[in-house]
Amino acid sequence: MPTIDIDYKELQRLLNIQHNDMEKLDDILAYVKAEVKGYNEQEEMVNVEFKDTNRPDLWSVEGLTRALRGYIGQEKGIKQYNIEPSQVEVFVSRELYNIRPYIACAVIKNIQLTDSVIRGLMHLQEKLDQTYGHNRQKTSIGIYNIDLIKLPIEYTTVTPKEAAFIPLGFTEKMTPDEVLEKHPKGCEYRHIVKSNLKYPMLFDADGKVLSFPPIINSNDLGKVTEESKNLLVEVTGTIHAAVLNTLNIVTTMLIDRGGKAYLTTIHYPDNSEYTEKQVTTPNFNNHTMPLSVEYTNKILGLNLTAKQISELLQTAGLDIQKITEPNDITVRIPCYRIDIMHQVDIIEDIAIAYGYNNITPNWREIPTIGKAKPDQHVINLVRDLMIGLGYQETLNTTLTNKEALFNKMNTPQTPHIELDNPKGTTMTCLRNWLLPELLEFLSNNKSVEFPQKIYELGKVTHPDPTCETKVQENENIAAITTHPNANFSEIKSVLDSLLTNLGIEWQIQETTHPALIDGRTGKIVINNQDIGIIGEISPQVLENWNLENPAAAFEINLQKALN
Amino acid sequence: MLMVELRAQEQQILLGIEKSGGRASVEQLISVCGLSDAAVMRNALTLQEKGLLNIYAATQSIIRLTDESKVYAVDGLPERRLVLAVMALGGSADLKVAAERAGLQVQFIQIALGWLIRKKWVSYNSQNNMVSILKEQLQGGVVGEGSDEALLKVLAGSGSEQGVVFDELSDVCKADAEQLKKRKLVTIEVKTTRFLQITDEGKMALSEGRVVESDVSQLTPELIITGKWRTAKLQRYNIEAPVAKAWPGKKHPYLCFLDEVRSKLVALGFQEMMGTSVETCFFNFDALNMPQNHPAREPSDIYYIKDPRFGDISGHDVAVKNVKETHENGWQTGSTGWGYKYSFEVAQRLILRGHSTCLSARTLESGRVQIPGKYFSIARVYRPEVVDRTHLSEFNQVEGFIVNSELTLKDLLGILGRFAVEIAGADKVRFKPDYFPFTEPSVELSAFKEGYGWVEFGGSGIFRPEVTKPLGVDAPVIAWGLGVDRLFMMRHGIEDIRMIFSSNLDWLRKKQVT
Repeated sequence: MPTIDIDYKELQRLLNIQHNDMEKLDDILAYVKAEVKGYNEQEEMVNVEFKDTNRPDLWSVEGLTRALRGYIGQEKGIKQYNIEPSQVEVFVSRELYNIRPYIACAVIKNIQLTDSVIRGLMHLQEKLDQTYGHNRQKTSIGIYNIDLIKLPIEYTTVTPKEAAFIPLGFTEKMTPDEVLEKHPKGCEYRHIVKSNLKYPMLFDADGKVLSFPPIINSNDLGKVTEESKNLLVEVTGTIHAAVLNTLNIVTTMLIDRGGKAYLTTIHYPDNSEYTEKQVTTPNFNNHTMPLSVEYTNKILGLNLTAKQISELLQTAGLDIQKITEPNDITVRIPCYRIDIMHQVDIIEDIAIAYGYNNITPNWREIPTIGKAKPDQHVINLVRDLMIGLGYQETLNTTLTNKEALFNKMNTPQTPHIELDNPKGTTMTCLRNWLLPELLEFLSNNKSVEFPQKIYELGKVTHPDPTCETKVQENENIAAITTHPNANFSEIKSVLDSLLTNLGIEWQIQETTHPALIDGRTGKIVINNQDIGIIGEISPQVLENWNLENPAAAFEINLQKALN
Repeated sequence: MLMVELRAQEQQILLGIEKSGGRASVEQLISVCGLSDAAVMRNALTLQEKGLLNIYAATQSIIRLTDESKVYAVDGLPERRLVLAVMALGGSADLKVAAERAGLQVQFIQIALGWLIRKKWVSYNSQNNMVSILKEQLQGGVVGEGSDEALLKVLAGSGSEQGVVFDELSDVCKADAEQLKKRKLVTIEVKTTRFLQITDEGKMALSEGRVVESDVSQLTPELIITGKWRTAKLQRYNIEAPVAKAWPGKKHPYLCFLDEVRSKLVALGFQEMMGTSVETCFFNFDALNMPQNHPAREPSDIYYIKDPRFGDISGHDVAVKNVKETHENGWQTGSTGWGYKYSFEVAQRLILRGHSTCLSARTLESGRVQIPGKYFSIARVYRPEVVDRTHLSEFNQVEGFIVNSELTLKDLLGILGRFAVEIAGADKVRFKPDYFPFTEPSVELSAFKEGYGWVEFGGSGIFRPEVTKPLGVDAPVIAWGLGVDRLFMMRHGIEDIRMIFSSNLDWLRKKQVT
């Protein structure tokens, strides 16, 4: 979930609130599914977490307050943004189609960039690149002082060794390949471009580098300071709609800051792949979506009229294009609300504007028969028997590691499910038997009073190519007893008691197991089917787990035992 | 120096030790003094406390005959009996005839022959089945006694219960003992023997101490049966003395809590769903309206399986086709869709489920969902988190859904209110807007409980048409999930979530049951 640092003074000013009460702020933020995560009093910054990942329009103090003003009754409907024409043109080269095909630009003039605005802008840019832009893969943003740029702009490609420029924060020229090797941002994002023979590059009319998208701006043209008055905002990416959306979110934020926006014209090449040859950006046109009053009421369980819905929509920062009484509304959706995919998204906004806590909950009697999963009853019987036999139930994780499952058990590897991306070394695969974790449990309790008798009834996972998810999961039960006189007979009488009480006739056959002592190891057999093992833990295994008392244990596959 | 007082049994034991040369095992004393094991030990502990003797423990391996070999000790080993029979038949005989004469049962013939050959007592011609005694083995007309046979006799003579101490045997005998163990003719058992050694103070007490008449400490069956209890004086106990702790077997507190949640949900009419923890991306993400580039699918947010990498979703081809179109262009759901090219390969990639909502998706898709119906699951789910006091990489989720021909947000709030009261015992509830990629509208539930304040307790919503329609369900479906871990921690006053999988036995033993 994205979290954003918001300048609290600005938030107070824009919402016209005086209080310093974070709980009240939380109540307001709830309208947009956000909450206060922290407040830095010294810097007067509030850390806000957004649950909705599809609302990048909220990720700046300007965007956030724009959305909240409707709910707290300060402004209704859609905020209109104006844009003026300009002569700024961008030419896109045909080779970009398979690399990073789309670009959208806007010019912002007469903006006053305070330190707080620059920080907010950088923060928004970073979050958009990261979250909405999938770490710059889908979209990435560049911002420049347009007064330093000679127009028009060229969006083209270069070979990895040409067009050396000074990247932001450095003092010497580097070729694109050197940037990818040496610059921290180059290292972080090189995977996006590295596989291409040529890299995307933005030049001005003098052939000076603006930036190497999506990696880094040039230090000469791509630096924005408090002195910068006129800006060029540029977004490149792989999905045209996402590029346009991102530009709208950044541009509207800058207009909210007093800037004046100007159109740019993007000229795409003649490649047949590009359907539009000339695109003017940004595009602030609203979208529309039809909404059924009946459907709205059916979902909410309310009895709202079209008029009531209209008012609620305005509270939510949307608007009405037209009402065809009694049942159909055409809803206007502002350009920055990129989250709305379906009527239900609008209906939720109506419900939030209405207030969840203003809706009277209704307990609808739906007569159904409850049922626990089929094996739950017998699982409970087994657990009751085990605790009756004096064994403490334990709960261990199903994630473990090969060292515990095999090496420490003195046992060759058996088929198991391994993770591709484990975090750390202790949780790298799913357990395929329970005993290792019981021994691990004992190894954490060496100073606890003996005898120690524990069991676990839990899931184990085995690969199975015939199953849909390629695994089979069984409930196993394993028990272990350890104290100075623990032995085979003791655990055998526990197993016998357990199985006999479950009405299971069983046999034991001598066998060997690398984790158990030879001559004290048995195979547990029911109807000629092996269902588990029983025996005394071998001293080597005890030593591996750093245990000092003898231990005897069994493990059985409960499903097989009960079949 | 104070005069030491000795009770009768204490004196008996000290005398017994002295008689045995100042040191005796508990077993020896049992037979010398005629006391029970418990009585010897109880008195020995008291004497040790008084500094009159010391108790040592030593482990020994004890060899004993098995039931089978007790017979052999008398009748001779099968190979001995066979060789005697061959001898009687003139030093060379047909195996079958000799065995019959020796009275060997059929199953022992091959064993006996095997040992004869191994011990090089005979030669055997398999063509004519003749067994012939090797001349060099004959000493004075008989085949000499093997050391294993000698050992058997010693063991038989030692009294079968007591056995012989392994370490006291010669090296040859040790090897024989191991051999006999393999033949399952003896058992070798590790036994702890306790020795009592009298101290100088003990010796002094024996000569100078005063013997007092002892009270009866333990009421015994003997006292009761013989009626001696009438005259015996039962010793007074110090009933305030601390006793050893007894630890019952107990169920795990977290699993007890889940049992309770399960039974409440069953009582509310919910059916339990199941599935494997390894899941396809299709059911974990795609079917839940999460596009294939959704941030929750990054390797930092979900565990991927190394091998095998792909599951098989061919059994769900209709749903897969519908979901693909829904993602690409909205299909018939009324949605705009996500507008990207859907990949079947990505859909089949195997992961560890990141939430249990995949079970709801499976149930909805199964074609067996009942309308009206209520379903729930209690499932282990996995996220690649760094484990700390507020995060686990593996935890349980309780969630489910309700499907009915008619269901509204009003009903959803009613259900959540009921959950809060029934499961969390809440006094008040509060609702907030929430976000899940698969529900709209979505509601967060907070419950207020006296003494705990407001606690976020669950998330819920109405499944988006992009979820239900492609899975073949047209009726509205309310999905809900409860924050059970938090509720458990709150109820048990636990602040570290890792306690759920605690391996602290002491904590489990002492944890109050609720």
